[in-house]
Amino acid sequence: MQIPKDAIEVKGYFTWMGNDGIARTCVKSGIDITLEIAQENSKVVNELICEKKFPMLIDSRGIKSMSYEARHHFSVRGRDTKTCAFAILIGSTLSRVLGNFYLGINKPAVPTKLFDNEEEATQWLKQFLN
Amino acid sequence: MAPKNKIPLSDNTRANEILEVIMAFARQDFEKKVSIKNDDSVFDGIGAGVNMLGEELQHSTISLREKEQLLKEIHHRVKNNMQIISSLLSLQSESTEDEKFMALLRESRNRINSMALVHEMLYQSDDLSKIELKEYIVTLCTSVYRSYALPDSEIEFIYSIEKKAHFDIDKMIPIGLILNEAISNSLKHAFPKKKGKISVDLRSIKEKYTLSVSDDGSGFKKDFDPEKDSHLGIQLIYMLTEQLGGKLEVNNKNGVNYTITF
Repeated sequence: MQIPKDAIEVKGYFTWMGNDGIARTCVKSGIDITLEIAQENSKVVNELICEKKFPMLIDSRGIKSMSYEARHHFSVRGRDTKTCAFAILIGSTLSRVLGNFYLGINKPAVPTKLFDNEEEATQWLKQFLN
Repeated sequence: MAPKNKIPLSDNTRANEILEVIMAFARQDFEKKVSIKNDDSVFDGIGAGVNMLGEELQHSTISLREKEQLLKEIHHRVKNNMQIISSLLSLQSESTEDEKFMALLRESRNRINSMALVHEMLYQSDDLSKIELKEYIVTLCTSVYRSYALPDSEIEFIYSIEKKAHFDIDKMIPIGLILNEAISNSLKHAFPKKKGKISVDLRSIKEKYTLSVSDDGSGFKKDFDPEKDSHLGIQLIYMLTEQLGGKLEVNNKNGVNYTITF
């Protein structure tokens, strides 16, 4: 995933709004996602300028682990979010296990799908653009 | 020369580490975690999955323990409240000399105590959903006997309760009340000479239980029909048997015998 220069950098992520109206966030390589890191990125995502709810592409291929609290936070249950769908890019063994676990156990409140391919993920997210 | 399919030592170590963590989780020890090397190996994948399952299991276990604690607390409070009501009735009975009124208060107290005992035994037991029947029955019968405090009496209780008989609270409350009524009736009416035996028998036959309470006392009067009797005690036994979804038989041979199949 190509990270633009104007991407917002936080402790565990690079986050930006794409020209196509799809938000993107890329997990930094070898990172352990804690609740604090998760909340910091959610704050950035919710501050992205967009009048309506938007879909989001998440590149999780660099992830090392994600805590219980962070997984529950990302399930977006019981919290305000501007996102309306997640496409999660997986590739490494760890991202594959984490992605499947998150989808199977934490059951996010918005439509979510795992992808090996960025183009397919973007294509799938387009249906959620208003 | 090493065999071709031999597993490298490092893989063995990692497999053992994963196994150790799984075993720790089985002991409800959630401190251990599988180390993640971030080397894109299958062990990393399995390790990450095991770690996450452990976290989910830990939170479920904590939540379950909290709920159990809360349930125990509720049983404790219910029992305490029932004891307060029972004590109030006891105080009330001290302020009267009307024998009939005192007897009514004692009967009400015994009914409340039989239910309070269920809650007491539930919060004291390891399994909050069930209580051991024999312990409950013996404690209840002793308590009812003491409440009548028949001086110089020689009433013997004989128990034949099937081992491992356990019931949940929905069954225990009516069972306790039925026993209370049947035993109270025996203690009040069956033994004019203050001597005799009361037997409590509970056994399972196929998929049903049979609870039998008998005494070897004087029995009902000849013209007595329990089904038409208006006394609350007998009426309660019929009502509670219905609540258990059971069938009641009352025999009047060599004393009184109530047999409830449910």
